[in-house]
Amino acid sequence: MTQYILRRLLLMIPVAFLVTVGIFVLVRLAPGDPVLTYAGENNDPVTIAYIRAQLGLDQPLPIQYAAWLSKALQGDLGRSLQTKQRVVEAIGERLPATLELGAAAILISVVVALVVGTLSALKRNSVLDLVTTSVTLAGVSFPNFFLGLILILVFAFVVPGHLFPPGGYVAFVADPGDNLRRLVLPAITLATASLAVNMRQVRSSLIDVFGLDYMRTARAKGLHEGAVIARHALKNALIPVVTIIGIQIGAIIEGAFITETIFFWPGVGRLAVQAIPSQDYPIVQGVVLISALSFMFSTLLVDVLYAVLDPRISFGAAEA
Amino acid sequence: MFARRNPRMVVGATLIAMLLFVAAFAPIISPYDPVKVDVAESLLPPSGTHLLGTDDLGRDVLSRVMWGARVSLSVGLISVLIGFLVGVSIGMAAGYLGGTFDLLAMRVIDALLAFPALVLAIAITAALGPQIQNAMIAIGIVAIPGYARLTRGQVLSVRAREFVVAARTVGVPPIGIVLRHIFPNITNPLVVQATLATAFAILAEAALSFLGLGPQPPYPSWGQDINYSQRYLANFYWWMSFGPGVAIFVAVFAFNFLGDALRDALDPRLRRSG
Repeated sequence: MTQYILRRLLLMIPVAFLVTVGIFVLVRLAPGDPVLTYAGENNDPVTIAYIRAQLGLDQPLPIQYAAWLSKALQGDLGRSLQTKQRVVEAIGERLPATLELGAAAILISVVVALVVGTLSALKRNSVLDLVTTSVTLAGVSFPNFFLGLILILVFAFVVPGHLFPPGGYVAFVADPGDNLRRLVLPAITLATASLAVNMRQVRSSLIDVFGLDYMRTARAKGLHEGAVIARHALKNALIPVVTIIGIQIGAIIEGAFITETIFFWPGVGRLAVQAIPSQDYPIVQGVVLISALSFMFSTLLVDVLYAVLDPRISFGAAEA
Repeated sequence: MFARRNPRMVVGATLIAMLLFVAAFAPIISPYDPVKVDVAESLLPPSGTHLLGTDDLGRDVLSRVMWGARVSLSVGLISVLIGFLVGVSIGMAAGYLGGTFDLLAMRVIDALLAFPALVLAIAITAALGPQIQNAMIAIGIVAIPGYARLTRGQVLSVRAREFVVAARTVGVPPIGIVLRHIFPNITNPLVVQATLATAFAILAEAALSFLGLGPQPPYPSWGQDINYSQRYLANFYWWMSFGPGVAIFVAVFAFNFLGDALRDALDPRLRRSG
């Protein structure tokens, strides 16, 4: 097991290297001169040349890359061109909000998918099943920013009493009640992106499991239906669901960019979106790098979990 | 008969045909000029004269939705074409040549897959500049890994078959083998992938436009129009976002629906249960 994890980590090194090269090249491709943004008002040629030298931007590209990478490996992703704040600090400040939103979305998505997916698999071809499968199909195609706006319209403006605020964030430590109230709409919006896929996965893997011999055996030996489903069916059907949760982490990260923008949620995604028009590349670069790395690690984590949950998967073959 | 056996395919294809028609003939069939400002007509709710209402500048929402179809569909189709051409070429070369090329190409593909798709598209468009062409390129690049992996896998399973070995034995050059013998045998899954990828591309374009990274105002675009309408939500001018929102949904749904139906029809393993 340890060997498997180590091998996977080693395989990640060349990919992570290419990812950093890609991000570095992308930022250098960008039009406009970041030095001008950095210099702001003081744009006389001497100051500009000085800033350029100070930022290392007068060096050849490979040397710039090596310098950037070695700093990045020490946790230094540069400074924002606008606020001059350290990028790591800016991301760190906004990470709790993003993690809170992401965790809430995963929780909603998994719980609803498990409950509705199980009911729908149990009562196959019932009205509930039909509604679920149609909603699933529609859910995959529904743009989540449009859903976000509909939720704001309905719950913040139309419903009397203004159940939930249209956006904004209050730290949990400051006011737990208000924090949760503001969390509901963005979390539902973000969860919907992956809910449809999860629901479909739970339903179809349960239906597969229901047809297997050990289910008949479990029923034949007189087990309660509840025990049959909880202990035999769900446990085995959960294996593909774990993979889906892993894939969903990607959807959560990219969804955060949009959901945070709609709901004025001060997270990492919104930080990047706001940095784009002002050409604050160190920020964009940092957020994209962190997104890619967390996506890579979550994929690895899911593969390991998958191997733990399903003893039939041998660690040697799992990575093929 | 065909319609009864494949209702989903017919529904999906019909919706796509209608969208293509609207996009192609928007200059003729749209009731108003989509960018013409008419303050006297601003913020009118849906009515007989303006079926989907007007926005704050008095522009007809239905006309903007019709013109927006041109942006969404052209970004969808062109980016999928970029992804298809590059991805399939890489996949075929990697699968057929194997060795060092395969190893290197697949690491690059892994690196592309290390990014959440939309984040990569946002990063590329942000770097190249917010323009419709750059959105096409960005979404096209994001689509490459899907085609490359699928094609490579298919080529690996086909290249050892007798007819390929026979073609090699009689001296057909590698490029001929790949194009004339292997490619025609792997098109089915690629068609399904292309259809589903178009759905993703339309959604991604809408998301990029929503974030201000697509076509720039005043040119109509569904995602951008929804973003623009957000400021009027509190005043209940819901119709400003309703038209573009439903349009995105219908377009993405049509391609997803057709893609699913094609997968069931073209994959022999699913045919019985489908």
